[in-house]
Amino acid sequence: MHTLSRRLTLQAALAVAGLLALPGFAVAQEPTVKVGYTQSRSGPFAPGAQTTQEPNYLLWADQVNAAGGLNVQGKKRKIELVGVDDRSDMETIVRSYEKFMTTDKVDIILPPWGTGANFAVAPVANKHGYPLVAPTALSQKLVDMKLPYYFVTLQQPRPMMQALVDMLAANGIKTVTVAYMDDLFGLENIGALEPLLQAKGIKVLDKKSYPLGVKDLSTMLKGMKAANPDAFVGITYPPDNFLITGQSKEIGFAPKIFYTAVGTAFPIYRERMGKASEGVMGMGSWNPKMSKAAKTYFDAHVALNKREPDRWASAHAWAALEIIQQTVEKVGLDRKAMRDHIAKTEFDTVLGKMKFNGTEEVGVPGMVGQWQNGEFEIVWPPARATAKAVVPKTWN
Amino acid sequence: MKQGAFVFVAALLLAALPVLDSPFVQSMALTCLMYAGLAVSWSMFSGPTRYLSLATSAFFGLGAYCTAWGLAKLPWPVVIMAGGLAAMLFAFLIGLVVLKLRGAYFAVITYGLGELVKHSITHVEKTYAGTVGRVMTETPSSNVVYWTVLIIALLAVFTYVHFGRSRYGHALRGIGMDEERAATLGVNPMRVKLIGFCLSAWFAGALGAAMAVRWTYIDPNTVFNPFIVFQTVLISMVGGPLTVAGPLVGALVFSLLSEFLRLSLPYLYMILLGVLLIVSVLYLPAGIAGHDWRAMWARVRRKRFGKELRDE
Repeated sequence: MHTLSRRLTLQAALAVAGLLALPGFAVAQEPTVKVGYTQSRSGPFAPGAQTTQEPNYLLWADQVNAAGGLNVQGKKRKIELVGVDDRSDMETIVRSYEKFMTTDKVDIILPPWGTGANFAVAPVANKHGYPLVAPTALSQKLVDMKLPYYFVTLQQPRPMMQALVDMLAANGIKTVTVAYMDDLFGLENIGALEPLLQAKGIKVLDKKSYPLGVKDLSTMLKGMKAANPDAFVGITYPPDNFLITGQSKEIGFAPKIFYTAVGTAFPIYRERMGKASEGVMGMGSWNPKMSKAAKTYFDAHVALNKREPDRWASAHAWAALEIIQQTVEKVGLDRKAMRDHIAKTEFDTVLGKMKFNGTEEVGVPGMVGQWQNGEFEIVWPPARATAKAVVPKTWN
Repeated sequence: MKQGAFVFVAALLLAALPVLDSPFVQSMALTCLMYAGLAVSWSMFSGPTRYLSLATSAFFGLGAYCTAWGLAKLPWPVVIMAGGLAAMLFAFLIGLVVLKLRGAYFAVITYGLGELVKHSITHVEKTYAGTVGRVMTETPSSNVVYWTVLIIALLAVFTYVHFGRSRYGHALRGIGMDEERAATLGVNPMRVKLIGFCLSAWFAGALGAAMAVRWTYIDPNTVFNPFIVFQTVLISMVGGPLTVAGPLVGALVFSLLSEFLRLSLPYLYMILLGVLLIVSVLYLPAGIAGHDWRAMWARVRRKRFGKELRDE
């Protein structure tokens, strides 16, 4: 009898826990706007997704709901986020979005994190006629698919490499060594970079690639040190950024300009690299000093998520949400109308004016950022700069 | 025969699933079938021999890359066959060497060779094709992919049953029990193991070839994902690799359960899944299908109601 009652207690406790887990029945007058998305909370994509993307989704829903809800052509409706973990697995991502669009029939979908995941979801969303505005997709091939319902707010390889090369030339750089990752991102960027360098008469003294998950690059870096270039360009992303920066410092490879591409703008790069991060350049778009809107966004992000947004794609994620919000306010939730509005309208966002040419966003130029005294300053192009580039980089 | 009829009816029902016109139900079924096919083919070799192979991801990835290379030029069935054959060829080549190893050494080396293939493909693609990721734009419809995966999974079940009953199946079980004794009794262990290993590889390769088109874009890290082999082994273990029902039940239970938990408890499901796995390993060592449920029920009844029964 004793064990039986204990079991009953346990069952009751489980049942109560189960009930608590159910979403509460709101007594709102207007129906909620259902927003479906997957983000990687586990697996290899999780660090990127949880730095750059999902915190913005949570912040957006929080802010909009605190203000009474999403303005749907004048009617305020609360946002209901339906966000699930995609385990960094492509098939799970495709399946989840199919569920959102066909079974759940959500009102809006927000994109997953990363270029590969966007490749998988974009055609499915296009087929079901759901507009998708993506912040973390970086591939000319994806842009070239010309999917009418698919938009990317992030700068693509060409403008980013153009900004880098212009900045190098403006600082009198004559020679570089280049390291890049063996993947689509590395190859597309290197493909854009080389002709641009050639056009400016900058010589490539050494060019090496390395595989994902590499654990030691000191041999490659020693070779580059021997070549003694004016600048180093790394088409890299975390965790190799940490590896390359750390090992360059160890072996005393100290070019005047040191550029590592993605993830340099992550706050964790500054924290992990400490003083070595000072003067490092990388892909960036903004910082809180850029404008009042940027400062407001930065503070709200820190207040809700207890951590800083990254200085590149985080703001592009936020801008994508602003675009959705402005679109819904204007044309409501009719997806065809939303798509047409996004395709032809110029939007005011945290990054300034944005507008699309096909899939690609063309309002925000390619930029270069540099860590200076704990802030990722925009140093190129001059029209967007928040500080002057510090060249040469100090190494001690 | 009753089982055969059951499989036949189930196959007919599954084949008719696209009638429902529910992409989510269909892709759920697709995932189940993919893992069912992978787990059945894995169990085909690793169940009877007790050689823990972790090469499934490599087979799967090779198949996927065959699709990426051949889809534009070859008809769909040929692409699938080629994917399976590429995996089979790879299994044959590595099998000649690694099947001499046993236990943990075999598991580790099969896993390591998977990594080797991944990096080799990266290198070849970069050097000769100037790319790493592959985009597939002209893909067959999702119904075609679904039926293809269904056929491959059914073929795997059919092969498991018939191969298991054949001379080779008996020899494989003999090797699993005692390899030296089997050899003394006239079995050529290397030859038999190689046949089993290659046969099981074909299905993983063909499934990789069929699934690749679902994601529009593939790169070595998505298709040579170790997650695929870990999940396959878990499913086979949870279901029980010694009968064909084991991996099938395992795939069904595991896919549905993990999907249900992922969608309903997005922040807790990993923990729950982990607990469930530990429980099933501790209390169901022979797997769901291999477990003697009747004996367990009898034991529970004796313990719980034994006193009341005697009172009556």
